[in-house]
Amino acid sequence: MELDAAQNPNPEPPISAYYQTRAEHHAVVSSDWLDHAAAAASLPDAHADADAAPPPSPGSNGGGVIEEFNFWRRKPEAAEAVAAIMALAAVIRSSRATTMMELEIELKKASDKLKSWDATSISLSAACDLFMRFVTRTSHLEHEKFDAAKSRLIERGEKFGEISLKARKTIAMLSQDFISDGCTMLVHGYSRVVLEILKLAASNRKLFRVLCTEGRPDRTGLRMSNELAALGIPVKVLIDSAVAYSMDEVDMVFVGADGVVESGGIINMMGTYQIALVAHSMNKPLYVAAESYKFARLYPLDQKDMTPAHRPIDFGVPIPAGVEVETSARDYTPPQYLTLLLTDLGVLTPSVVSDELIQLYL
Amino acid sequence: MPDMQPLISDFVLKLKRRKVEGSHAVARQTAELLRSVVSQHRMGSTNQAAALADAIHAVGEHLIAANPIELAVGNTVRRVLHIIKEEDISFTAVGIEGLSVTAVSDDECDSGNDDLPTLSAAVLASHARNALRAPSLQTLLDDIPVSTALSHSSSSAGDSDGKTGDKSLKTRKLKHDVIAAIGDLIEEIDTCYDQISEQAVEHIHQNEVILTLGRSRTVKEFLYAAKEKKRSFRVFVAEGAPRYQGHVLAKELVEKGVQTTVITDSAVFAMISRVNMVIVGVHAIMANGGVIAPVGMNMVALAAQRHAVPFVVVAGSHKLCPLYPHNPEVLLNELKSPSDLLDFGEFSNCMNFSTQDGTPLLNVANPTFDYVPPKLVSLFITDTGGHSPSYMYRLISEYYSADDLVVRQKSTS
Repeated sequence: MELDAAQNPNPEPPISAYYQTRAEHHAVVSSDWLDHAAAAASLPDAHADADAAPPPSPGSNGGGVIEEFNFWRRKPEAAEAVAAIMALAAVIRSSRATTMMELEIELKKASDKLKSWDATSISLSAACDLFMRFVTRTSHLEHEKFDAAKSRLIERGEKFGEISLKARKTIAMLSQDFISDGCTMLVHGYSRVVLEILKLAASNRKLFRVLCTEGRPDRTGLRMSNELAALGIPVKVLIDSAVAYSMDEVDMVFVGADGVVESGGIINMMGTYQIALVAHSMNKPLYVAAESYKFARLYPLDQKDMTPAHRPIDFGVPIPAGVEVETSARDYTPPQYLTLLLTDLGVLTPSVVSDELIQLYL
Repeated sequence: MPDMQPLISDFVLKLKRRKVEGSHAVARQTAELLRSVVSQHRMGSTNQAAALADAIHAVGEHLIAANPIELAVGNTVRRVLHIIKEEDISFTAVGIEGLSVTAVSDDECDSGNDDLPTLSAAVLASHARNALRAPSLQTLLDDIPVSTALSHSSSSAGDSDGKTGDKSLKTRKLKHDVIAAIGDLIEEIDTCYDQISEQAVEHIHQNEVILTLGRSRTVKEFLYAAKEKKRSFRVFVAEGAPRYQGHVLAKELVEKGVQTTVITDSAVFAMISRVNMVIVGVHAIMANGGVIAPVGMNMVALAAQRHAVPFVVVAGSHKLCPLYPHNPEVLLNELKSPSDLLDFGEFSNCMNFSTQDGTPLLNVANPTFDYVPPKLVSLFITDTGGHSPSYMYRLISEYYSADDLVVRQKSTS
């Protein structure tokens, strides 16, 4: 508790909801984190509840979206984007709108609410945008009756979970060409897509070795190494600062992404930028595995040019009062340090991302 | 197609023995062979396009396996597969429209059609187009089952049309269209030089110094075109060891009245500071914008980058390959005979296999190709205009359909 007191001189950055999801899904290993999080999160949680609870459908379903979203995002297999789209589909289902226009407005409200509820999650807002775009496009198809269109939207929304799983499978398949026998790859943090890739490669009887970073402070890398070891893949765990030291034995770097931005760069767990710089200076390819629904309409100009997602950091020892702690959970890696993006749309160069986004939104 | 077999195996043999080389010749002959395969193909009554594609696939596998280095073979096979798909879809779209017109004309049929109540012919056609195009964010949320439903409905449409009578006419139409489209492809391969060299004056300016390595027909035509437009410029030709094709190019340029200087390959770095632009031809353009080029090209590209000289690649679209160079140092290269490098008579005693444990002390490696990564290439000039390396994926998604990319892997697995 004294640790908490030590950190709380600057309590205004609460733990982002986005980070909570990550922590839950990625089953952060340390029990001390849980204690810590419970203590630290009680305040912002109440905050979030207070946000979500008061408007329990005063006419609209605004409050429902967030509950629905929270319900879905607790499912371990569901990505945040899936939860968002499920929540929006639920809005359509319970909507009493009778025209497409009404439905669209209602949906827009719900999606704005969802987005503002957690401004830090990129895939959440990207998925909302994507679904809204889909709705608009569908409503422009004049041939459909309203009820038919509505049920089609709901059906497509609810299928999105499958689409997301399928996307992961596609990416895993595409990436197999990149993994050759005897190669060593470096992975950073826990990413479901990267895990899927390595799983498939292992089941294809490829022989390779994986170096896992520890992924401080929530030790997501340890989770990754557990899973890989269970698959019988030779794994070595590094502390995050040993990346440059071990880079010469690495043949390629695989990372996931929280979001892929318009420049073709990625926003990912803290430390990715560092790894990308090291890999670039040692001429090692860096591959990003990301589902296409993570493509977001953002254009960060530098590291600080995005909504920061904060997380608690346990230093093991109390931090003296007055010492600031950098609690940002992720960084931005510019496109020139990425070799290729492995997405369900195919293997893309970073510049394709903006092309796809422009095609969709213009 | 028993009557096609000798032709195919003849071409396979030619490829294997390296009797046909060079992407232009290979692409052209592959296209011609595939055209005759299509014309010899007997069309069944159902699912004609799929059967045709299978036939092309079977032949294509053989051809690609015969000489995997000649990427133009695979490119042409994929182009033809894409053509078949395109023709099939435009064909079924017309078919469905016809169907819906008849459905509208008698109302009972319209109300009885419960299978696809909400989707009109236009939607189906647009979905079919989407299925053909590379997947994109636009279509991510679209119904995937619809496209499979389409393949059912299209085949059933074909069936019902077949029953109504003019089946033979329709099959002949599809086949005819495919053959015509392959004919266009062949013409495109032939005329790519003209298309590319038309752009020469936009890139070569008065009194510039151009450097090139070896000999490429595309480069030659490009330089000729600039000369014909009364541009005066100078050309440095690196001779392109060990085949010394640069000498041939130098002779050809001089005949056209171009100021030409021959240099050795190793002098490229020394001369590059006097050069305004490097223009080279390549063997293949990969999907990431990197190129497979005659050996020595990477050195030229590095020298050009060091002195910030634009490195321009001229290539016809048949050289555009939808594959990624996963491991370029190992894959996609060919080691030629050492006789290019040294005279066996002089070195025969070094190559004595009887000494030691049967391995000679002297080894000779004579690789044909270099891989130049995309960041060293400034510009691609193809028959469709100038493009940056990062734009190559776009051309590829235009020319090839996404599910054909793995022609080669299917054959191995």
